[in-house]
Amino acid sequence: MTPKSTISGRHGEVAVAAEGLIKRFKTGRTTIEVLKGVDFDARHGDLTMVMGPSGSGKSTLIAALSGLLRPDEGKVAALDQPNLWKLSDGKIDRFRLEHCGFIFQGFNLFPALTALQQVTTVLGYQGAEKGEARQRAKAALEEVGLGPRMNQRPSELSGGEKQRVAIARCLAKNPQLLFADEPTSALDGENGQVVVRLLRRAATEHGAAVVCVTHDPRLEAWADRIIRIEDGRILEDQRRTPDPNATLSH
Amino acid sequence: MSLALSTLIYEWRRYMAAVVALAFSGLLILAQVGMFMGIGRAFTAQIDRARADVMILAPGATGLGNGPSGVPRRILPTIYRHPDVVQVAPLDGSGGRFQNIVPADEAAEAQNPNQRTGAEGQGGGQQGGERRRMEFVNVTVVDPIPGYVTVPTDYSDELLEALRRPYAVAVDETALRRLGVQLGDKALYNGKTIEIAAVTRGYPNMMQATLIMSRDTLRMLGEADTGPRVGPLMVKLRDASRADAVAAQLNAQAGGQYRAWTRTELARANANLMFQEQIIGVMLGFSVFLGLLIGIAITWQTLRGAIMANIKEFASLRALGVSMPSLRRVIMELSFWVGVAGILAAGALTWGVGLLAGANGVPMAFSAFWIGMVSVLLLIIAIASGFLSLGVLKNSQPADLLR
Repeated sequence: MTPKSTISGRHGEVAVAAEGLIKRFKTGRTTIEVLKGVDFDARHGDLTMVMGPSGSGKSTLIAALSGLLRPDEGKVAALDQPNLWKLSDGKIDRFRLEHCGFIFQGFNLFPALTALQQVTTVLGYQGAEKGEARQRAKAALEEVGLGPRMNQRPSELSGGEKQRVAIARCLAKNPQLLFADEPTSALDGENGQVVVRLLRRAATEHGAAVVCVTHDPRLEAWADRIIRIEDGRILEDQRRTPDPNATLSH
Repeated sequence: MSLALSTLIYEWRRYMAAVVALAFSGLLILAQVGMFMGIGRAFTAQIDRARADVMILAPGATGLGNGPSGVPRRILPTIYRHPDVVQVAPLDGSGGRFQNIVPADEAAEAQNPNQRTGAEGQGGGQQGGERRRMEFVNVTVVDPIPGYVTVPTDYSDELLEALRRPYAVAVDETALRRLGVQLGDKALYNGKTIEIAAVTRGYPNMMQATLIMSRDTLRMLGEADTGPRVGPLMVKLRDASRADAVAAQLNAQAGGQYRAWTRTELARANANLMFQEQIIGVMLGFSVFLGLLIGIAITWQTLRGAIMANIKEFASLRALGVSMPSLRRVIMELSFWVGVAGILAAGALTWGVGLLAGANGVPMAFSAFWIGMVSVLLLIIAIASGFLSLGVLKNSQPADLLR
């Protein structure tokens, strides 16, 4: 099982790399090619932003990278797996369980569970024992600043707090790959800033490779790398120095 | 607390339809079983509550009132020879035509209610407004001696004293309206005048009303057993806990002339006989089938809907790597708990219906066996519905969460 300690010292190493990804969707009689031979890589410790207009294929890209959606062609190498899509479905599930975190635009929290239970449930599936799961869940919730609210249910939390619970649910797993899909678009500026800072921290302090899909240009300030994608092709791949004190306001 | 149980408790409204469907499926079956068993018990109430520890029936009888009945009179003294036996008395009974007595003018008025005003004339059981009734009744005999073997355990001394009077009979309160009589009324039984001297409670008769009278009264009416055969023998023992042993010993020396039953044995045999009746078996089987069908249909659809409502949450678990079999286990656990809730609700509902029925004179009785059977059935319904609902999980595609 993944150790409690954070992964460090691997900053800069390639965490996930894709070659020649092609994905087509059928709508009625026409076939749309959403990814047209994309090569992509993301490194540990980096906050990689994938930006592009809607319909550009950015969400499909991270679905293919993370083992959620099988590409029609191409290869994904992730961590110690040279070819993720050659694994059986069960093994891909296992890989995600052990190494991947996801943050979605919707928060997707079970209404019946408290913040703490949302996190411990996932840890339980990972195989953590009750006491250990509780401890790790508490630590993760403290980290996202929800220590005092960990016994609240989603209905008692604001949107920003819900997203932070979703982030804590990922961070508690201590993932080496963290995928975020429009994590701030349902949030106001202040909460969006909290969320993007947490992503930043997951990369810097936990050494995770964070891949964040967004069409919000203001998030660029926090990124180590910005990849622009349009019409299923990567247009631009740019490295930059993040500004940890950037602010996001509406 | 598990995810499934927390969800069921927190979102109980969503699962209410399933729980209610299960509860009514359970009620449908339990209430019928309870009613049949209640009727069965009512038939033999006097036996179940008798002081007899052992009863002697004709060989070949499969229950009280089923198969050959009664034994030769000369068996009676042979039973006394057993050292544990303290009392032996034959159960005697009869049956005949019962008529209430209504003064001629009142009867005439009651036959023409149109001439009366208001609802006064309809008031059943009201003296003066009573119609003439003719019913066939059973007669059962007791020996009105306090503590005697033929006297049910819940008969009061006052009741026995009333029955000691000649031509005095007791009827159950549930039969008063049917017979059209009140306490203290005179009536005709097979053309002879009797008096309603007492009213019992808790001896309802579904098919025919029963008159309770003393052995002497029955003799004076000319209907007592005086021939070579008598009814089943009621046997009281010095020590009731020896009933099994004594019954076995009596059977060993029976020589094919009778069979001794313990009271519990006989009660069980009577209850089982009830369910061997073909029409009851068919009705119950149909109810079970109907309960199964309705229960599964509603529970399945409710579970489906409820799971669909949380499908995004399940999908996010899928994204985080929770396997499909794990999610299936959550659904199965959820349906198990829905089943448990359904069993509790069915219990509460049946209890309520039982109270209502009891208050209206319809006896219901429930055995641990049937409650267990129905509980298992409800669990099967719930779990089968869970199985049917598993298909919904196919919709938990985490890739759909990416937009």
